Amino acid sequence: MSHGRSSRREFLAAAAVTLGSLAIGRPAHAKGSVTAAMYPGTWEEAFRAHVMPALKASHDIDLEMTPLFAVDQIAKAQAARGAPPFDAFVLDPGPRVTAIDRGLFEKFDARRLGNLSRLPAGMTDEWGVTVAAQVVGIGYNPKKLPKPKGWTDLLKDPWVSRLGMTGFQTTFGTVSIIEIARQFGGSETNVEPFFVEIKKVLPKVAAIGAPASMPALFQQGQCDITYTNTQTVATLRGRDVDIEFVKPESGAVAFFTTMHIAKGSRELENAYKYFDTVISAPVQSALMQPPNNFIPVNRDVKLAANLPMASLDEMAKFVRHDWSKINPLRAGWIERFNKEVAR
Amino acid sequence: MTRAAEWQLALPLALAYAAFFLVPLGLLIAVSAFGDERITTLDGAQWRKFLGDPFTWKVIVDTVKLGCFTVAATALIGYPLALVYLGAGPRWQRVILFVVILPLLTSVVVRTFAWIVILGREGVINQAVLWLGLAPAPLRLLQTEQGLVIALTQIEMPIMLLPLLSVMSRMDPNLRDASAGLGASKWRTLFRVTLPLSLPGLVAGCMLVFASATTAFISQFVIGGNRLVYLPLIIWQQSLVVYNWPLASVAALTLLVSVGLGVAAIAAVGRRGRAYAV
Repeated sequence: MSHGRSSRREFLAAAAVTLGSLAIGRPAHAKGSVTAAMYPGTWEEAFRAHVMPALKASHDIDLEMTPLFAVDQIAKAQAARGAPPFDAFVLDPGPRVTAIDRGLFEKFDARRLGNLSRLPAGMTDEWGVTVAAQVVGIGYNPKKLPKPKGWTDLLKDPWVSRLGMTGFQTTFGTVSIIEIARQFGGSETNVEPFFVEIKKVLPKVAAIGAPASMPALFQQGQCDITYTNTQTVATLRGRDVDIEFVKPESGAVAFFTTMHIAKGSRELENAYKYFDTVISAPVQSALMQPPNNFIPVNRDVKLAANLPMASLDEMAKFVRHDWSKINPLRAGWIERFNKEVAR
Repeated sequence: MTRAAEWQLALPLALAYAAFFLVPLGLLIAVSAFGDERITTLDGAQWRKFLGDPFTWKVIVDTVKLGCFTVAATALIGYPLALVYLGAGPRWQRVILFVVILPLLTSVVVRTFAWIVILGREGVINQAVLWLGLAPAPLRLLQTEQGLVIALTQIEMPIMLLPLLSVMSRMDPNLRDASAGLGASKWRTLFRVTLPLSLPGLVAGCMLVFASATTAFISQFVIGGNRLVYLPLIIWQQSLVVYNWPLASVAALTLLVSVGLGVAAIAAVGRRGRAYAV
């Protein structure tokens, strides 16, 4: 009996030591870590393959990723009230404006980035740094449909009966609908013309789907034309899906993906090193290659032939939107979209 | 063991419930009472806005209707399978049970996306329909209520069958033999003996399927798209896209009450059914 008890004690002690050494052991073999929110899917896979090893090699920092869409990051950070569940955000312009508005970022000092001089002007501000660009236009199946010229073609035959749409929940959906509205006399603060026009063709539209299911719907032939970004088109092409990207006549839309430090983060130093690694030429170059298909922001990276631009300076020619004007209207648009398109 | 000690045994679970269910529920109710998204003015404006909108009522009715259709479909298809189980030998019972549990081993996300492949324009069903010449053009199944009910019927089937099979396997086979021995036809035995005895399992299955189908956000959104709007979509949009937490709380509480009433109604029907059988 006493033997049994002592062996149990020994076992517990051994277990405690093992667990303890696991807990203490981790920082011993790395200088530290940084926890970054990361878009699930392509972004997470690409960062795991390229950023994680580069950050470890150059700064001996472990990158831990929490897969979250932009809107989920804002919701989590806001719910955490000053004790953020991650150190770094990765965001599209809309959620970025919301986060600034709600005080979720630490102030950002761009001079702490070693690669700052390699970025085109305007890629950093007091809140964060741009790490990639996104270009939104039309993706269509050239085997099923003629090439569309512009946004208005989406609402005409033969395209409209093969059109796959999403609402205002995502950045690419919102900017595309704004562009459609603009062709009919609307603006970034007036999408009324879109609602008028869509109402006329609504029964014909092939699919009005959840944003995350759009690539699957396209792949399955549920729709053959949709608004989307170049990265999704490249990813689908990589899976042998018949899809081509078209820059609409009125111009494709460009927006930037930015990274920010979460308010209350204790890993400021490591977060800067993480950002600096992400914008470094070798990492940006690797992220541009298939199957990642990012649009780089580092001037030292020679742009791949399949990108919608020959040089980063061309970004200025793309259509841009002011999200500080869009954000306050978005809730109303989402409500309207529900009511107009629901069966 | 004394009565007090027994009560203490339940204490950890009770505390966990209080901390992780009652407190958040209280917070939800409190947040819903605020009128603005910054949670500063306490005026109940979101409740008035939400319940005063006819569209909301359409969404509530659609959500409850989806639950009812799914319950009806799973019960109609599941009950005969449960009868087969009842009549099968122990080995076949194990096989049926395994087949029933099998879908639970894959994630609901995977099952839902698989339904896009099946219901899609170029999916299995449409290819069969076109090949057999039953329709001139592909049928629209995705983003329709019928398509969603078909998918949910498969997705929710295990939670209908598990309580049903567990009740049926405890049923005394002699009762059915006695009924037959006393001259009752097979149908009479089914309706006067088997069905009443299996009613608790059927009612439990219906309640679970109703609660699960009305709140199945992923399946509703992926298969229904934006054409079918149910309460979970509104909760998601308000909480995660536009950050209007008071309105999201109002929608969440509305869903809670709708599902609660639906479940209570199923339980009431179950009680009346048993009274009728006796």
